[in-house]
Amino acid sequence: MNFTAVSIAMAPEHLLLAGIVTLLILEIASDKAKAALPIAVVFVAAASAAAAWLGFTGWTGAPFPGQFDLAPPASFTKAIVLALAVPVLLASKDDFGKGEFYPLVLSSLYGVCLLASAESFLTLFLGIELMSIPVYVLVLMGFRRPESAEAALKYLVLSGTASASFLMGASLMYGSTGSLALESFALALGSPRLLAGTAVVMVVSAFFLKAAIVPFHGWAPDAYEAASVPSTAYMAVLVKAGVLVAAARVFGKAPVAEPLAGLLAILPLVSIVWGNIAAMRQAGLRRMIAYSSIAHAGYLFFAFLGDGPGRFQAVVFYLATYGVMNILAFTALPSHPEDVERDRLENLKGLFRTHPFAALLIGMAMLSLAGIPPFPGFVGKFLIFKNVMAAGYTTYAVLGLVGSYLGIYFYLRVIQYMFMTPEAVSGGHAPSRGVAMGASLICLAGSILIAVLPGTFLARL
Amino acid sequence: MADATVLSLVLYLPLAGMLAIAAIPAGRDGAVRAFTLAVMVVQFLLSLVLYAHFDPAAPGLQAATRLPWIPAWGVSYIIGLDGYNILLVILTTFLGPLVTAGAFSAVTKEVKLFYAMVFLIQFAMLGTFVAQDLFLFYLFWEAMLIPMFLIIGIWGGERRIYATIKFFLYTAFGSILMLAAVIYLVWSLWSTAGITSFAFADLYKARLPLETQKWLLAAFALSFAIKVPMVPFHTWLPDAHVEAPTAGSVILAGVLLKMGTYGFMKLGFPLFPDATRLAAPMLAMLSVLSIVYGACLALVQTDIKKIIAYSSISHLGYVMLGLVSLDLLGIQGAIMQMVSHGLVAGGLFLMVGMIYERCHTRELAAYGGLAKVLPVYSVFFLILTLASVGLPTTSGFTGEFLVLLGAFNAAWKPAAVTIPVWVAGVAVTGVVLGALYMLWFAQRFLFGAERVPHGPVADLNLREKSILVILVAAVFWLGLFPDSAMKRTELAAREYQELVAAPRTPAATKLTGTLPAEAAR
Repeated sequence: MNFTAVSIAMAPEHLLLAGIVTLLILEIASDKAKAALPIAVVFVAAASAAAAWLGFTGWTGAPFPGQFDLAPPASFTKAIVLALAVPVLLASKDDFGKGEFYPLVLSSLYGVCLLASAESFLTLFLGIELMSIPVYVLVLMGFRRPESAEAALKYLVLSGTASASFLMGASLMYGSTGSLALESFALALGSPRLLAGTAVVMVVSAFFLKAAIVPFHGWAPDAYEAASVPSTAYMAVLVKAGVLVAAARVFGKAPVAEPLAGLLAILPLVSIVWGNIAAMRQAGLRRMIAYSSIAHAGYLFFAFLGDGPGRFQAVVFYLATYGVMNILAFTALPSHPEDVERDRLENLKGLFRTHPFAALLIGMAMLSLAGIPPFPGFVGKFLIFKNVMAAGYTTYAVLGLVGSYLGIYFYLRVIQYMFMTPEAVSGGHAPSRGVAMGASLICLAGSILIAVLPGTFLARL
Repeated sequence: MADATVLSLVLYLPLAGMLAIAAIPAGRDGAVRAFTLAVMVVQFLLSLVLYAHFDPAAPGLQAATRLPWIPAWGVSYIIGLDGYNILLVILTTFLGPLVTAGAFSAVTKEVKLFYAMVFLIQFAMLGTFVAQDLFLFYLFWEAMLIPMFLIIGIWGGERRIYATIKFFLYTAFGSILMLAAVIYLVWSLWSTAGITSFAFADLYKARLPLETQKWLLAAFALSFAIKVPMVPFHTWLPDAHVEAPTAGSVILAGVLLKMGTYGFMKLGFPLFPDATRLAAPMLAMLSVLSIVYGACLALVQTDIKKIIAYSSISHLGYVMLGLVSLDLLGIQGAIMQMVSHGLVAGGLFLMVGMIYERCHTRELAAYGGLAKVLPVYSVFFLILTLASVGLPTTSGFTGEFLVLLGAFNAAWKPAAVTIPVWVAGVAVTGVVLGALYMLWFAQRFLFGAERVPHGPVADLNLREKSILVILVAAVFWLGLFPDSAMKRTELAAREYQELVAAPRTPAATKLTGTLPAEAAR
């Protein structure tokens, strides 16, 4: 173990850790709580830049062999995920201008970074827990109504179940292959033994639970709704990204064959269809996004079908497009004195009259999430369905596309409410704030970049 | 090289205009209108340069720009002009200023957003026409939906939300299946022939098994047929037309509907020639069904806009008939009919908008004897009506006549496709029906007892007269001198004919009909 290698390879993680320590010291030592936001943003942005730098220089190596290694795709994944966290942090100014929010987010991000580099089930478990535990608190921190506590508990219990299932799967994996390295998953996939099969199913269902795939999705709408808007954005994008990146690490380049392929094709398809149908009936944006993210998790797991190559690229690229647009929608949403009223779709009526810029941005985000070109969501969807077809699952690809068609309706409905209400109905939203607008502008720039130059991103992943 | 720059300018000018509009301070509606009109006029003049420089004898793309875009997938950015799109590009840029000027008095709320959307749809439509790469084409194709969705939904009539969502969901359904087909097409080319390219020129060389061609053609055809629209996929059109503001109807009838027929001509048929020849008799029957059924429906409507909407279905049936006839005259007639219908239907919708602004009703029964009250209006209306009927010397005649000629050629002479003679025969009745519903409409509308709702009303003002004079001039020019336009499309018509007529299934030894990955499963 080489000290310089460790410090360089883990530079993003170190920067996050330094940020956490600084924030904690600040919390104890000073009452200038206003500095927390800039400090958190600076450290996360620096960590993202460090990860991007590692990626561009092509840094490859394993500072902790068998536990933590680094290659450019992983570095770029970290850079993208951390960059996505910046607008989330900025948008939290109104809800959490000070206090514990920032160290919690940074700890959770540390976990996400670990996941992108994890080489063994141990590190992976560490990453998952490090990512999830702060989020339980984040959900509860939106505590403005009794349901928050209930939702947080629901999330805690189900997420804990997922962790338990994951641990059980990992130990069975160890029992059947004698190794905790992630490669043992590929071995177990190919093994006809019942023990190995059980291990695989337990690990996969843990991922399904964490990523809210039908029928393991029940917690998501409640948790998303109960949390305050920045926390929801964090959960919908970064936690989901962490889980999917972890799953992509575990699957690696292992070819997926029957019978697991059936599971990996049917449950995501059901998620796409059900997520999109259920989203139609929701009255609040957060709940709607929760169901839409269930559908998006379905698209993401479609990327796991077939042979390995291109899997990691498709997952990360999709996460980038989906993430940037989701965050754009949340950050552009003007704040409201009543948290419950903030995202009620009814209150969005006539938003274009009162907040034209916000309405345009949310509209773009909705169209992109619906996968309508030329917005970046389309390119991500294209990539995933191209891979599904290339894997030979033509029927599933067509059904998945038709399922995604079902989603168009409720995204359009948001646009309809914002733009097509004849008289200006004020939903009571506060005027847009500079910081939140800055956050959405970052997302906008990012999404334009992805839409115009998708090739540049794809080449790096 | 210089032409390539001009084409890029023509394409991106509306996009730049849209962004520039955002900079005009709120409340300065007059400035927004003047600015939009100026940009549109400049765009049209630039496109005339392209038209003048277009070399009818040169094969391949002209004024082309080729750039790599997503090299990993073989996607490139290719735009260019050819005989397929040159007239449609001019039609789009020609209608742009007219639509803009036509909406000056009709659109009074959210003026900035409105013209931004007009710019956006102009950009997307031009992009769809000039794109020479399937991926790029699909991007523009879908992007057209968004501004149209907003134009109908924000500035439309009473049931605008219903109409616009119906419009979006109908067309998006076709598109999503087309997307599946696009992915499958490109992927199967890559896995069987090693071609990784989305460029049309490369896709035309693809050899696909007949079975694959059938499925892919079905998906493409569904998407295009919804857009045309062909009976029985037409039910979104009357709602969209009736609820859309005038500008929306003009864009819809003038250009957007041509996307479907253009898609068939540029993509659907040439990409899957063997399946097309098999399906040709059925497609011809559907086209004739569209002609006759659209005409019959137009006959019984009581809403002025609906009459013209259904007449569009009927007229686009001719275009489809010309395209499937695979006869050179028929194909050229189809292209002419596309342009002519764009001018005539666009003009009629503009005129309906003008009367609606004055009288606030579209009920035909409420009107009568306009010829006495609004003489200037009535003259223009009658000219456009006759052009719609296909009177010689107007553009409508050239297209319809050539299409029918082509259909009979295909029916009598044994060629690549055979259209049943009765189908061609029934198509002719469409001409009679067309004359019947349009003339009857004009008679009830312009003549008879004088009935003017919310009267007395003023005749056309200078702005409206100018719009109509320009439009009618174009209608006559195409009717009297079709040669200039037709010689530019001739080469493309030949190329299309050859592409669709020649068998292009893979040699039997090369492929057995299953794709490798499927066989491996």
